[in-house]
Amino acid sequence: MKTVIKNIKKNFPYILYSTKSKLKSEVAGSYLNSLWWVINPLAMMLIYMFVVIIVFKSGEPNFPIFVFIGLTLWDFFNRTISSSSKLIKSNRNIINKVYIPKYILLIINTFVILFKFLISLAIIFVFMILFKVTFSFKILYFLPIFIVLYLLTFGISLIIMHLGVYNTDVHNVINIVLKCVFYFSGIFYNICTKVPQPFNKLLLLFNPIATLINESRNVLINNVTPNLLLLFNWLIVSIIINIIGFKLIKKYENSYSKVI
Amino acid sequence: MKAISVKNIEVDYYTIKEEKEAKGILKKFKKQKFTALHNVSFDVEKGTVIGIIGSNGSGKSTLLKTIANIFEPDKGKINLYGNTINLLSLGTGFDPELSGYENIFLSGMLLGFSKKLIESKLKSIIDFSELGKFIYNPVKTYSSGMYSKLAFSIMAILDADILLIDEVLSVGDIHFQEKSYNKMLELINDKKRTVLIVSHSTAMIEQLCEKVIWLDQGTIRKIGNTHDIINEYRKYARSLTKLS
Repeated sequence: MKTVIKNIKKNFPYILYSTKSKLKSEVAGSYLNSLWWVINPLAMMLIYMFVVIIVFKSGEPNFPIFVFIGLTLWDFFNRTISSSSKLIKSNRNIINKVYIPKYILLIINTFVILFKFLISLAIIFVFMILFKVTFSFKILYFLPIFIVLYLLTFGISLIIMHLGVYNTDVHNVINIVLKCVFYFSGIFYNICTKVPQPFNKLLLLFNPIATLINESRNVLINNVTPNLLLLFNWLIVSIIINIIGFKLIKKYENSYSKVI
Repeated sequence: MKAISVKNIEVDYYTIKEEKEAKGILKKFKKQKFTALHNVSFDVEKGTVIGIIGSNGSGKSTLLKTIANIFEPDKGKINLYGNTINLLSLGTGFDPELSGYENIFLSGMLLGFSKKLIESKLKSIIDFSELGKFIYNPVKTYSSGMYSKLAFSIMAILDADILLIDEVLSVGDIHFQEKSYNKMLELINDKKRTVLIVSHSTAMIEQLCEKVIWLDQGTIRKIGNTHDIINEYRKYARSLTKLS
């Protein structure tokens, strides 16, 4: 673990520069350039607002924000995991030429996605003000929720990244699994009220994404204290997944370049 | 003083072969082991220039990549005695969407330089590359000559104790080829630096190296002073030509 922290520290300037470059490179050559970083999530928000208010007409209070919180968290999880299965292959150019701890590549990838996540989050706050949602100090609970989300996503991605090197099928399998998780995480509906007993309790207990999304809504729009014990349990699980992931990478990373 | 010590290393590749006779939709794969390097040991003294020769597929590039820690050997050990090491290659970590200027930082930082150091060498890199105002254009718009000029100029600031060179490079037009070749010689001839060169040009190896390692089918066939080994290698190569 010590060497991991040392390596991350050592490579941190590169991580930041590369993150910045990747974000820039995505919009390079377009007229609106960095405006796209804001336009994209904003357009999404407006589309969902239309669908949700006009089409669904759900009784949920602040339903557009409710949906958008779910989507924002989901996007972070989904994008990171889905891209990690091909991460090593798409960085072939670097891996075949220079030694770099492979989790550095994953950190860069999560930072790129994190940046977009933060913009979405900012948009959520703007809309919360527009919709006159009452804030309370409980909003601060979002930070531990986010930390669990990040660690969980990172740990799973480490393992998927490793498997993806040796097996191309992994990418397809993961995308199917992700689709499945999407529908069981209550992104467009409220698990507590829309799923019959006792399945809603079970989903909230065993699907971490459902838990994290539900708790985020609780602290951001409902002013409810999250279930800290449950969060703590998922934190422990995430840390264990991360340890397994780092061990896997450390053991095998030097043979990746032979395979890709 | 030793700079590199390589002890009994073995490197295996596993290639996956599709079985042709397999019936049905599911594909069957067979794992095949291929030993690229076998029982290779040698030591390199600090400050020496070593040439590595051998026919295609004899394991030269694999050896360099193993020493550079891009692969880990399946058996055996490599000790670098704390020296920093770099395998020279063009355009490491380039992003074609970004400008040449940004790529200098991107590539330089990937190779382990601090931002400050790159800033201090920025002017000399840009001057050396002769790109002028094009340095602010996206790299994808460069001609292949411009691309390799920029890539070479970044590579030329490498400051590692041990340099691994897979074919001595000279890039660009005639004028730049000479300039880059001289720069290469300057890097190689630095007395403090230990250099390993893989090359098919025996003339170049003869000119630059003090010792030569001759690899053949993944093992060391001969190791010794340049003159003897090169002569023997040439004789061997000639005999092969005659046979065919």
